[in-house]
Amino acid sequence: MGSRTGARTGGPDHHLDVLTAAGPHLFWVTSRAAGTAAVVLSSASVGAGLLVRGRGQSRRVLGGDTRVLHEALALATLSAIAVHGAALLGDQFLHPSILDIAIPFTGAYRPLWTGIGIVGGWGLAVLGLSYYARQSIGQSRWRTLHRLTGLFWLLGVAHSIGAGSDASQPWLLVVVAIPTIPALVLLLGRFSELISEWLRGPGAAQSATSHPHRADVVLNGQEG
Amino acid sequence: MDELRRLEAKGLVRARARSRRRRTSIIRSRTIRGSLGLFAIFWAIIFIQLLMGNDPVLGHSSGGHNAGVTATKEARTSGTHPGPEAAMPANAPPEPESERQLEAELAAEREPEWEPEWGAEPAPEPVAPIITSTS
Repeated sequence: MGSRTGARTGGPDHHLDVLTAAGPHLFWVTSRAAGTAAVVLSSASVGAGLLVRGRGQSRRVLGGDTRVLHEALALATLSAIAVHGAALLGDQFLHPSILDIAIPFTGAYRPLWTGIGIVGGWGLAVLGLSYYARQSIGQSRWRTLHRLTGLFWLLGVAHSIGAGSDASQPWLLVVVAIPTIPALVLLLGRFSELISEWLRGPGAAQSATSHPHRADVVLNGQEG
Repeated sequence: MDELRRLEAKGLVRARARSRRRRTSIIRSRTIRGSLGLFAIFWAIIFIQLLMGNDPVLGHSSGGHNAGVTATKEARTSGTHPGPEAAMPANAPPEPESERQLEAELAAEREPEWEPEWGAEPAPEPVAPIITSTS
């Protein structure tokens, strides 16, 4: 564990001293920035995923293919989550082990919220990357599983608010709310659709899940 | 004529595929650049907060940057959420617990003044050693 040198409050070397004092926190800062980016990107990805194959909605949004945008955002999210966890390994103060950041509810730092984040991260990784194995999993089974991505995304958002160091910062709340609220509205709309179809009867629900334009999923980008 | 139409259709399909690939690569590259930009912006915001001493975890300004960082270091290593109170500057007023201890100590120091004179046993005066001469 490195010792911290005192930063002077004046003089020509002040800025250099402050930078030196901030040095040991670079991993911590990197992890926080990556975590914030992961929340924003995952919300955007979920929103884009919900626009893919939406009923009566255009396949092209903002001049691009929504499916491609959704896939790219999902991969960027997973990269950000990986950086978020990996950067913590270099932190000299928390000094977590690989097990601490990989196994939920075992770490010393806020185990509940951190554990929720780890569960969310693993869920997003497994369900997101399962897209590339959907042929072997089976399209309809994969689609059903992929619906759970919304739940893991919500866990990630809860983790960012509950365990996030910057959760009290207005700028973070605004930045997270901008992509999260629309995605949440779309997700609730999709769930209400599914519930109403399910309430109409098993036949309607069956036709809804078998129809490629209605059997949409949170992160689904492929036709069944 | 049919051959010509077939070739035309093939060309059209190829052009569409090329256009789709180009569009895909543009979306991917823009997403990658956007994600990196987003990360860089967040990193800069958090780092500047840290340098300014306004970081919610690592410390407040007014010369207490290092005190806050040290407090946070302890809080972080102990596994508790440090919160803004962890970043309290070194010259901040003591916590109520410390104040109570201080008051108790001061009261203990004042006690001898209030004791009546008759109740106090005079301290024995140091006795000079008796030296006997053997001569």
